[in-house]
Amino acid sequence: MTFTHFLKELNGNRVEGELLKSIFYSLITSFAILAILYFFKFRFIANFVDTYGLYLFLAALSYALLTPLIHQVHAYKQFSCMSGMMIGMTIGMIAGFLAGFYVGATNGMFIGSVFGMLVGICLGIWMGSCCGVMGFLEGIMAGFMGGLMGGMTAIMLLNDHLQAMAVIVFLVGGAILLCLNYMIYLEMKDAERQRQGEYLLIVTITAALTLATTWLMIFGPRSALFS
Amino acid sequence: MKNTTIIALIGILVIGGALFLFTGNDSSQTNTVVGTGDLQKITLSEKNYNYYPQVLKVKAGQPVELTLDSSVSGCYRSFAIKELGVVQYARTPKDTIQFTLPKPGNYKFSCTMGMGTGTLVAE
Repeated sequence: MTFTHFLKELNGNRVEGELLKSIFYSLITSFAILAILYFFKFRFIANFVDTYGLYLFLAALSYALLTPLIHQVHAYKQFSCMSGMMIGMTIGMIAGFLAGFYVGATNGMFIGSVFGMLVGICLGIWMGSCCGVMGFLEGIMAGFMGGLMGGMTAIMLLNDHLQAMAVIVFLVGGAILLCLNYMIYLEMKDAERQRQGEYLLIVTITAALTLATTWLMIFGPRSALFS
Repeated sequence: MKNTTIIALIGILVIGGALFLFTGNDSSQTNTVVGTGDLQKITLSEKNYNYYPQVLKVKAGQPVELTLDSSVSGCYRSFAIKELGVVQYARTPKDTIQFTLPKPGNYKFSCTMGMGTGTLVAE
């Protein structure tokens, strides 16, 4: 029953009514950046699509599922401790794991883990802060753990269906993020939104994440295995 | 913009991106090296994040001396044949790994973490 209400709210006037638009704007931003870079630079790199294509594509899709959550959390501003910790943990863990996995698959465990931790911890802190210091700490811990695990998992699977696992990891991570959208709706369905949605925020975060991921994959440092 | 329009546009973007990706070619390949001499000497390299070559043909019952050249790095330098209980860390390209395959057949080798793999074919 409540899930049906949530689906109805995707067309409504609450912040949930802006989630699909957020996904769309994020995707447009990522794909536009990748298309421009591909046309002017990357198509001249040998085996670019085979080597990096899938991971950049999945990274763009992952960021398109992460940014609507930022939009939703940003709109409600304040959460209870329980919800805030869950938000910090989920976003920190999934953002860190996915970013670490994709970069780890092309550059090695060190740079993948460092990037994953950076993305996971930063987003975990930012989103977890909606409930104060408990969510803040949860965000740090989850980002730290997710980033390390993402880079490590990618390297461990190098010769064992890495690309298939990348798709599975994306699907599972994406499902968790969508469930978090629903959880936030359940927790906040009686609350008023505190901030108006800014799509510029979505576009900026997506562009920053996409550019950082792309730059690291193509020009960033690599472990000995990839040199 | 209506939600159905947005969902359709998202679908088009995702499917378009996926189609662009999967029109590429798969260039995986397997290479073989044959051990020669009474002491069968083989040197393994690293290529495409795996041992190269991945299939090694040797004679059963005769000792094999394996070296890992300087291109082999990280955990790939820790060589293992689980079936024979061979586990050795070849720190430098001068370090050798010696073993004998007791009878004809296929023996899987890998690094100790199972990331790099290949097959020893004893004839």
